[in-house]
Amino acid sequence: MKNLWSYLTVYDKILISLLLLLSITGIFLPFVNPFRTRIAEGSEKVIVIQKGNEEEMRIALETTYGTDPLYIEIEGPIGTSIIEAYNGKVRMKEAPPADLEKTCVKTGWIEDVGPMIICIPNQISVWIEAEEAGLDVVSW
Amino acid sequence: MGNTRKLVLIGLLVSLGLILHFVEAMLPISMLVPGAKLGLANIVNLIALVLIGFRGGLLIFLTRVFLGSLFAGTFLSINFYLSLSGGLTAYLFMSAAYYFIKDKFSLIGISVIGAVFHNLGQLLTAYYIIANPGIFYYLPYLTLIAIPTGIGVGLITYFTTRHLSVFNGGNRDG
Repeated sequence: MKNLWSYLTVYDKILISLLLLLSITGIFLPFVNPFRTRIAEGSEKVIVIQKGNEEEMRIALETTYGTDPLYIEIEGPIGTSIIEAYNGKVRMKEAPPADLEKTCVKTGWIEDVGPMIICIPNQISVWIEAEEAGLDVVSW
Repeated sequence: MGNTRKLVLIGLLVSLGLILHFVEAMLPISMLVPGAKLGLANIVNLIALVLIGFRGGLLIFLTRVFLGSLFAGTFLSINFYLSLSGGLTAYLFMSAAYYFIKDKFSLIGISVIGAVFHNLGQLLTAYYIIANPGIFYYLPYLTLIAIPTGIGVGLITYFTTRHLSVFNGGNRDG
């Protein structure tokens, strides 16, 4: 059994190192200061649910705290998706049976700006956005 | 390669690709990153590219995607377009690398190229459907996973094709 490195050409190694570098940069870039999504003072997080390229609804994350989780049913092209929002987190609880891979269900809970729950077969995407609070609470 | 031998080889590779496709669907790799996969079916594409050539490989890939989606009941659904776009992008870029810069990259490098372009092609299609640029948030995670899976697929292809060419040479009509 030879070493893995001995199977690679110089260009392979360059390609792999470059890809590694780009991927890691891509992963950490959103956390580095100038690129970080700033969440302004007084802004609140909202759950945004989109079907196709139309926004279906926005729910303030604050309203999901309580004893009972909030269930939202969205009708997509292949069936009903059930979204669960509970205690500041949101997930895709159920995808229609026609979606065999159920990638969006496997994504699990999200609770911050950045990641996104995407159900491509049912064309539904769910993510969290920071939104400026209503005008009546703006102060400076 | 004789016609019958080629026909048998194409048939074998299509069925092998179908099996790998379904085995892959059972592995919970997408627990790590949504949409991540091992790309096992790419082994077959790459073997076909090396043993039969561009046209044969393309034929095998298209047959596999069509049959696979018919068996799974996803023909002409979004899953079908995602498989098709990802696989086709990967195959075209792998072929380009294999034919034009073959002396630079080994099969491992070509396989990594295929894995990365599979992700790119698929994400672009997904973006077209979902129209949400946030989907690209996962691209660096997917390309990071594409490195080890691409290397694995490349190694498997390397050993398989090496073994098969020995086998073919022994029969003296390969």
